[in-house]
Amino acid sequence: MMRVAVVGANGFIGSRAVELLHLEGLAAVRPVVRNLSRLARAARFDLDWRVADARDRAALTDALKDCEVVVHAVAGDRNTILGTLAPVYAAAETAGVRRLVYLSSAAVHGQDPAPGTDEESALSNSQPLPYNAHKIRAERALGDLRRRGRVEVVILRPGIVYGPRSRWTAAFADDLVAGRAYVVDGGAGICNGVYVDNLVRAIQLALDAPGADGEAFLVGDAEQYTWADLYRPIAAALGFGLDAVPSVAYAEGRVDWWDRFEAARQRSAARRVLSLVPIRLRAAAYAAVDAWRANGRAAPDGWTTAGPPAPRATREMALLQRSRWKLPSAKAARVLGYRPSVAFDDACRRSIGWLEFAGYPVRASFAADRGRASTAARDALGTAAGAERP
Amino acid sequence: MNVALVGCGAVAHRYYAPALRALESEDVLRVRALCDPDPRGTTDLRATFPAATVAGDVTAAIGGSGIDLAIVASPPRCHAEQTIAALRAGAAVLCEKPMATTVAEGEAMVAAARETGRVLAVGLYRRFLPAAQTIGELLRSGRLGALRRFHCAEGGDFRWPARSPDFFRRDAAGGVLADVGVHTLDLLAWWLGTPQQVDYEDDAMGGVEANSCVRLAYPGGVTGEVRLSRDTEQPNQYLFQCTDGWLRWHVHDADRVELGLGDVEAGFRARLHRVARDGTHPRLGAPRGGFEESFVAQIRNVVDAVRGRAALVVSAADGLASLRTLDACRRSRALIGMPWLGDAELARARQLSGVR
Repeated sequence: MMRVAVVGANGFIGSRAVELLHLEGLAAVRPVVRNLSRLARAARFDLDWRVADARDRAALTDALKDCEVVVHAVAGDRNTILGTLAPVYAAAETAGVRRLVYLSSAAVHGQDPAPGTDEESALSNSQPLPYNAHKIRAERALGDLRRRGRVEVVILRPGIVYGPRSRWTAAFADDLVAGRAYVVDGGAGICNGVYVDNLVRAIQLALDAPGADGEAFLVGDAEQYTWADLYRPIAAALGFGLDAVPSVAYAEGRVDWWDRFEAARQRSAARRVLSLVPIRLRAAAYAAVDAWRANGRAAPDGWTTAGPPAPRATREMALLQRSRWKLPSAKAARVLGYRPSVAFDDACRRSIGWLEFAGYPVRASFAADRGRASTAARDALGTAAGAERP
Repeated sequence: MNVALVGCGAVAHRYYAPALRALESEDVLRVRALCDPDPRGTTDLRATFPAATVAGDVTAAIGGSGIDLAIVASPPRCHAEQTIAALRAGAAVLCEKPMATTVAEGEAMVAAARETGRVLAVGLYRRFLPAAQTIGELLRSGRLGALRRFHCAEGGDFRWPARSPDFFRRDAAGGVLADVGVHTLDLLAWWLGTPQQVDYEDDAMGGVEANSCVRLAYPGGVTGEVRLSRDTEQPNQYLFQCTDGWLRWHVHDADRVELGLGDVEAGFRARLHRVARDGTHPRLGAPRGGFEESFVAQIRNVVDAVRGRAALVVSAADGLASLRTLDACRRSRALIGMPWLGDAELARARQLSGVR
């Protein structure tokens, strides 16, 4: 069986890749994590895990020994995106790895791609969000490394990756429960989504597909669906009607504190930093962050009686939700043999199953068969598990 | 009182070192020995405890150096051997949780304490949290009526700065149940007594669990669920629903509880104080301590017990009882439902988990 290292194995995509490739016996998986604390998900299996920071070439070289392919699934900020490419590539080369599969993003085409966009479309240097520019730079850096090096490079460009542990799934559920969910223009825009299992199928195919070296592939679900289609089942499972979720318009061109805060929230960097401070201070800081999230900003005085603030779309969400173009996976189908293995309806069901597993207050009629930890028991306990989640 | 700190990893650095410094400043004790086979562990603690010598193993740390109390804060697979060695070398022991990796190890530790006549305490520090004490008083007193059901959900993305891979080893009491669940199960045993029935499921598939669920049933029809995770963010709350009210505790609030009373419309979020009196008039006295004070109180209790001035709050018998509950969980183990897995994955997961 092919030995495959997954660097970033505790992340949302990395952990599902480890799980699926291992449980289906598709590869001998070697999870690589940046420190021992990041082992929790991979350690559920009896696997040959390694600890190596993706910026530490020497440690990585050791971790990648005897692997045929390395999957780069490291997520993070600009420094992480750009700072882990050369070390991973160099380590792979020294370790004798044949191919590197890199998880880029459809965001290299922008959140609202022009009709007709595909892998052949030129990547613009003028991007609405810094993340897009970082991913473009990363792809170009990998191209340079490939030209000078021996390790093959296959780039995957997934769109919105949803499903278990995805921020797209969990954050919308969090926002619904907290009363701050919204859709942009009724959620009528095309969602360029890919269920995480379908992305893992593409990763699996990219491990050894001939003719893929040096190529980039858009990866999406088979179906065309809107943001409302993606959100509606989650809302229903949590007892909300999507019609009752506010639809907002976006004031173009503004990147304000809300965008910056949302970006920080989604990186979870705040929570990581908070984990380093003493427990009592941490509790206070969480309360402050939650209050900030809940209220937007502090009321100026006790006489202010305004209700909860109207939801505001982040720039990223506004751009994503007005997309009118379904990015094609035709090249992935042609070269990799990519066929999404999970249909959209099933993907939504599995995502809801995960929400329930994670403790969200999923209504009994949507609940999966959880075996002995029965939904009836959870119902008897009321909303304790999820109603007050941050 | 001369103290040896055995095991100088994350818990020693984060919690024991500041607590021991606080007690040194009160002249309650003095740290005389630091013990860890890995010099990375002892290097910076030497600056914190300049009176301490450094040793690589527990016998060298304690033998002939006048150590009265050994705090065993090493990985759990070392607890039994180090605790028994320390007891036999003449020291009392405060052993971190979980007390041991198996019930048999725990029994050997209890036997060694009995043979040597030394104090053996277990570091289930949550019994020292004012909120935990208040919850126990409220539930036992029946002031909220009869308990009907409870739900405890604890954990989230694993962030503990682990230095040992033992947290993830099957043969070393790795996994979320023995790591975090032992606290929850100990508090429940303290508050509610021994459960009649324990059902347990987790997601270990050849390794150690990141998610687990314990369902408990008690005489009188009380039922409850404990959900633990190193994977998904949990509310980190305990909820107790009684016939005449409810009680909710956020586990990071050492000195606060939330309370609802029967048909009183408002709920209460209470910061806990001692009760004082002005003549016949009760009033709020000093606030109860937070997490740090509770951790210090744990060590102070052991010191007082060694000096014969107080009873142990968490005895070796309590630690052993928590090991027995962990064992009951493992014996009733089933694979937790993971509804996102495909059929082939699920079949393989069942096979790897070694359960039905």
